[in-house]
Amino acid sequence: MPERSDRLLRCFVSVFPTLNEEEIRNSTVAALFELDSFAGVTLVTLIDQEFDVDVDLADLLELGSFEAIEQFLLAKNPSNVARG
Amino acid sequence: MKLLDALELLKQPVSEAAPHQVVFLVCGFTPLHLKTFLAAHLRSCFPKDRIEIRTGLYGDLAGNLERVQPSGNPIVCVVVEWSDLDPRLGIRSLGGWGSKAIPDIVESAHKQGERLIQLIKQLADRVPICVALPTLPLPPISTTRTAQASNDDCRLREIVASIATSLSAHKRVRLLNLQRLDELSPLGLRFDAKAEIASGFPYRIEYASIMGELLAALIQDSPPKKGLITDLDDTLWAGILGEVGVEGISWDMAGNAHMHGVYQQFLASLASSGVLLAAASKNDPALGEQALGRSDLLLSRENLFPQEIHWGPKSDSVRRILETWNVAPGDIVFIDDSPMEVAEVHAAFPQMECIVFPSSDDQAIWDLLKRLRDRFGKSIVSHEDEIRLRSIRAGHILKSSVQNSGPVADDFLSSLEATITFHLGTNVHDHRAFELINKTNQFNLNGRRLSESEWLASLRDPGAFLLSASYQDKYGPLGKIAVVMGKIDGRKLCVHSWVMSCRAFSRRIEHQCLKYLFEKLDVDEIVFDYKPTTSNGPLRDFFTELLGEWTGPTLAVQKATLGAKFPALFHRLVGVENARTE
Repeated sequence: MPERSDRLLRCFVSVFPTLNEEEIRNSTVAALFELDSFAGVTLVTLIDQEFDVDVDLADLLELGSFEAIEQFLLAKNPSNVARG
Repeated sequence: MKLLDALELLKQPVSEAAPHQVVFLVCGFTPLHLKTFLAAHLRSCFPKDRIEIRTGLYGDLAGNLERVQPSGNPIVCVVVEWSDLDPRLGIRSLGGWGSKAIPDIVESAHKQGERLIQLIKQLADRVPICVALPTLPLPPISTTRTAQASNDDCRLREIVASIATSLSAHKRVRLLNLQRLDELSPLGLRFDAKAEIASGFPYRIEYASIMGELLAALIQDSPPKKGLITDLDDTLWAGILGEVGVEGISWDMAGNAHMHGVYQQFLASLASSGVLLAAASKNDPALGEQALGRSDLLLSRENLFPQEIHWGPKSDSVRRILETWNVAPGDIVFIDDSPMEVAEVHAAFPQMECIVFPSSDDQAIWDLLKRLRDRFGKSIVSHEDEIRLRSIRAGHILKSSVQNSGPVADDFLSSLEATITFHLGTNVHDHRAFELINKTNQFNLNGRRLSESEWLASLRDPGAFLLSASYQDKYGPLGKIAVVMGKIDGRKLCVHSWVMSCRAFSRRIEHQCLKYLFEKLDVDEIVFDYKPTTSNGPLRDFFTELLGEWTGPTLAVQKATLGAKFPALFHRLVGVENARTE
């Protein structure tokens, strides 16, 4: 769990380098995506590659938060295997 | 490289004072992750530079080319895909794929190709340009099944080939080699329909990384190496010259050595592009000279300069070659089939790329040639290349003095973890020993050859002995490489045959043979039936080093000589005594 959470946090930090961990955990996905029009696309690709899942922008917007995405990834890939 | 790694690499700070380099990434699709990967790979190539990548507008490749500002010495990187030749060759434009539309698509692609050629060449007159022509699969627009190429497919590919031919002729255009791309990424694993629809970015993420890496390499255009030093035996040709003779070495199919011929041909190609070539071989110089003079050699002997052919350490040869060429070790590639020689040279020149020639692996030789092409590749063979080669040849006299086995550093020898296995007895079935006696020339006591009957008779003589030595070190085994044969006469040993393969020189195996005989057979003196031959200089040099100059008819070594004259020996010894066998 901590490893998964850290890796997801690395993805967010890479896409939103000006935000700290607390800001990322407390923000909504929609609010984050408004900061950068390409950020959502990049975050989707990162999560796809790092967690070997197939998500799109709508999925992340619907999940709504960092914690919800984390839970979603746990459900999708309990073994926590990254691709590539 | 994964996208996360690329993003994190790009987050690492670069000094504002670092040299600033602008790269225009010109494409008709959303550059998205290609921009990220290109930036990351360029960061790896130019870690001290501040690289800024600028992009253009979606769907307007030609317009983006026109908008590039050539001031400030930017580098331009153009990535063309099918939809840039005609939007209907992509999937975001629903312009119709009906059979009546296809001729118009082809005609449109032709015109757009002409326009792109013109724009790129105009820009290339002012700045360096790297170009990638369509790398994605054509969409299924033609009426044929996917296994069958349609005439329309062929015409579209002909258009792209025509663009490639035209652009590659321009000196400032570097065209991405699609063959290299194909090696790294199968065509079917490149296109991402979902990403294309969602964001206008047509590449799968893994493919985007590969494209970024290759484009960065094109932009980097690292300077080629300047010279290559090659071994001869089992490298330039198959076979050990000292064992099989000038006519016994081969590089053709008949000799099961064809890839050595391909290697020669490749070296000749390098020479024609101005690469310096030299030979470094532990061999009899006269034999080496004769072998390199063979008229069927695919590499002209004139292309190998200097030729360091002697028994001295390879690192000394390499040092002299570097002095003659006046180039730095980092500009050179050294190739030898012996891992030990490669290690010895690399220890002396850590900056030099030293490669073991895979003499028994055709596929590995093929891969080596591609690797070498990467090291020596250059877009243009300049006039300066030719002048430099001629001036080096004219400015130096080939060093004709041939050293015999010179000193090899003790610390290097001690690091070899060498083991010598001695077999002592009278085994008449030792065919390798028989073979060595009958084909070894350089380290040969008297050049005497034995018929099978003489061999048998010698070993059946009362008091006869046969000592053979097998060698291996951390780089692998050399097998049985030395044979001493003779007769015990009280406290004296009479040796009538002593040979050692030239592959085993410079390892002090000959010293260990003598020491073993003295100790194992408990004698005070060894008398050698020495006779000079035209090629046994290495053996004479060994005795000269041990005894000083000798003139008398008898060549003998006393046991006391061992302590006084022997260098340090580092081998682990294994002794095997075998009974007389019939």
